Formats: sequence, C-alpha cells, structure tokens
Amino acid sequence: MQETDRRKFLGFAIGGVLVAAAGAITYPLYKYLAPRKREDARQKVVVAETDVPVGGAKFFELEGRTAVLVRKSGGALIALSAVCTHLGCVVQWQQDKEQFLCPCHGGQFTADGTVIAGPPPRPLEIIPFTVSNGSITVG
Amino acid sequence: MALFGKIYEWFEVRLGVKALVEKQLTGYLLPRNINFWYSMGSILLVILLVQVVTGILLLIYYVPDADKAFQSVNSIMNVVPYGWLFRLIHAIGSNMMVLFLLLHMLSVLFMGSYKSPRELNWLSGFILFNLVLAISLTGYLLPWSQLSFWATTVATNSIGAIPYAGDFLVEFLRGGKLVGPPTLGRFFAVHVALLPLAIAALIGLHLFLLERIGVSTPPFGLSDTKNRWQGNAFRYEAHPDGIPFFPNYLLQDLTSIALYFGLFFAVLSFAPTLFFTRDAFVTANPFQTPAHIKPEWYFLANYQTLKIFPSEFLGLLVQGIAMTLLAILPFLDRGSEKHPLKRPLFLVCASGGIALWIALAIWGHYS
Repeated sequence: MQETDRRKFLGFAIGGVLVAAAGAITYPLYKYLAPRKREDARQKVVVAETDVPVGGAKFFELEGRTAVLVRKSGGALIALSAVCTHLGCVVQWQQDKEQFLCPCHGGQFTADGTVIAGPPPRPLEIIPFTVSNGSITVG
Repeated sequence: MALFGKIYEWFEVRLGVKALVEKQLTGYLLPRNINFWYSMGSILLVILLVQVVTGILLLIYYVPDADKAFQSVNSIMNVVPYGWLFRLIHAIGSNMMVLFLLLHMLSVLFMGSYKSPRELNWLSGFILFNLVLAISLTGYLLPWSQLSFWATTVATNSIGAIPYAGDFLVEFLRGGKLVGPPTLGRFFAVHVALLPLAIAALIGLHLFLLERIGVSTPPFGLSDTKNRWQGNAFRYEAHPDGIPFFPNYLLQDLTSIALYFGLFFAVLSFAPTLFFTRDAFVTANPFQTPAHIKPEWYFLANYQTLKIFPSEFLGLLVQGIAMTLLAILPFLDRGSEKHPLKRPLFLVCASGGIALWIALAIWGHYS
C-alpha cells in the first residue's frame, strides 16, 4: 500500500471516529437539555362559577401558560389567554374600565380580547370552555 | 477554497497566525527522547474540561438545599434523560482526576523534573493537587446521601485534632457544630465557584511556568542524565535537535487521551458503581450513623494514619510533615542527577513511600 493511501485511510478513519464520538455525545446532551413535558401542567381547569363574580376576573395556569376567565357586567363569561400578543407579558384586568392592560408597553384589550390601544398585533387568544352544575371547565 | 484563503488571510494580517503556529506548534521543539508520561498533563486538562462541562450540566437540575439535594440527584439519575450518564461521568471523572494527578506527580518525581529551576512548577502542581483533593471532598457532600454526610462528618472532624484552634476550625468549616444544611451551602459555593476559579488560576500559572522555563529533558536513553542548569542566570531549556509538538507529540497526546477514554468508559460501562457504596443511595440521616463509613480511596491512607496513632493530633502531625516534605522536595533534593536508578536514596524513599501509602490505603479499606 502506498504511504499516501495509508495516510488518507487513517485520516478518514480518525475523522469517522471523531464524527461518531461527536454524535454519541450530542444526542444525550440534547435530550438532557431539551425541555421536558411538565407532568403538573393541566390540560383542563375547573373553576367554580362563584369564583368569577360579575365584572371580575380569575387568573390560572392552563397547559403551562397563563389564562383568565372574565365575567362581563352583562353576565357573559369569556376565557382568554392572558399572555399579551406583543412581547409575552401577562395582562392585568382593570375592573373599573372592564379592560385588560399590559403593563409592559401599554397594550390595551377589551374584555373580549380585542386590541384597542398600544402595540399588540393580535387580539388575545380565545379559549373554549363549558359550564355545568356551577362549574366552569376551561380547555 | 478561495473563501477559506481569504478568511485565513484576514486573520493572518491581524494576528500573525503563521508565526504563532510556527512558534507554538510546528516550531515548538520537544526533547527527542520524550516519552508517554509527558502526556499526563494533557490528559488532566481533558479530564478537567469534562468535569467543568458535566458540572455545569448537573447545575441545571441540582438543588443545593438539604431538603431537596438528594431528591434532585435522584431525579438526575432516574428521571432526566441521560442524567445518569452526565452524573456518572462527573463522579468517575473526579476519581480519575486524582488518579492521573498522582501518576503525573510520580512521573515528575521519578524523572527528576522537579529539580531546579523547576521548583515553582512543582510547587504550583502540588498546590493544584491539594485543590483537586479539596474540590473532590466538597463535591462528595453535595448528593446529601448517607455516604456524603458521614464521610464529610469524619473528614471534617479530624481537623478538630489541631491544638487550640481545632474546634473553632471544625465549626467554621461546617457552619455549625455538626454537618448540616449550612455545611451544604458552604461546600456548594466552594465546589462550584471558589475552587474552580483557584484551579483555573493555578493551571494558568503552571502552564506559564512550563512555557517560560521549557520542557525538561527526560533522563532515559541518554548517557549524560545530569541537570545542566548552573543556577546563575535565567535559561530557557531549548531542544534545537528535538521533535516538533505538532504533529509528532500531539499525536502521542491524542493517543494517550484515547487510551484514557478507553479506561474511563470501561469503568463507566462495566463498573459504574465502583466508587459508590450502598450508603450513596440512601438520603442523609443525621440521627443514624451507618456502619463502616470509609472515605474515598485517595483518603484511605490518611484515614488509617489517624487511626493507628494513639492521638489524632500525632496522626495529623505526621501527615502534615509528610505533605510538607513532599511540597519542598525540590529545595531538599539539590543533586544534579535525574535518572532514578542513579539516585538510590531517592529510589528507596520514593518506593518505600508509595508502598507505605498503598499499604495504609489497603489496611484502611479492610480495617
């Protein structure tokens, strides 16, 4: 075998081993660092109807994100994502105005989640819910 | 390729890459009779790198709270994907670091590389060895298992034998009269912040000294094995007829590192619990001392020495004297001969010392 052939072969062999070693360490490293599914993240949340008075709001966690139930002065219920569509801050309920305000950059939403002022590009996401026997099931 | 050429040229005109490569790699000449033992330092640097990376990974899930530490380690071992792998790499790696530090020091001892003008290389290496022992000891407590808790109790207790200041020192070290949550906080801070910084600084100094003074010539395969330094002026030990670091010795370094990983993964695969006892898998209980608590293998000789002397203070004193003698060895051994077979007194003392250390460790293990 020529000297150069042997050198080339050894180069490829060492390169191959290094690539295999890099793969062998990258996969466990990725799996170790990858976010794990939270076992305590709730898919559905049950709230008592009495917890959401007229004009009031109830904040809770749903699938790892913040959500809110609002009962408008007319009595209508609505469930929304409480995460501002601008930069992800959690909106605050202003009972006197029946509006949401995002304190981060002044975004304002109606009780239905529609943008009325500020930089948010989209309305708050609406979440489906059902009401039965005095309980509200969100999600 | 033209793009790579342009990128290279960009760096070349700014950093002088070609001159740097020639100075540090291809033109960096090492003794022609250099051997395998000179690659221990490179192996140790790789081990340290692996320890730092896996240590950072463990920090993501580890909780330094006495109520949660054991559970968090348990979760790393059983719940987090591949957590067991990174934890075992870290735990086995710490033992390997001590083992290879011992081998590195032994090679330096037997080849007479500690002799003048390399007293500072030896001293900085000796301090590094002690810092590695300290980082191993502090890391041992962090899993908050029965083994961690009681081994730390025993290890910190021996300091109490120092006259007058002993009790104060033990309490200061533990953050209380006994090992407890304050000890965990202290040891955690020292393990993850203070000691890594100190070790990094000492390694920097150690490498600077190596670079400044030059690589020593091994005494094997030469007719004249005497130290040629006169002691009257600074002299960089050059090896004009030597072999280049790149590619020649780098290949030896890589071979040694590959062999090390072979050994390391053999332990990891076939004896993953080699360095764990059953008490390592039980959460710490300050009210129940397990039977036969033993320190790590590298502290067994110290442990047995404390036991065989009638007073703990005497045992501690003997160890202190032995360590001091080892630290100042280059200042005591002023002879110019480097070949171990031409230094009978050294050979007898060193071999006797190693045999005694091993015997005490075995005795400690079975006592």
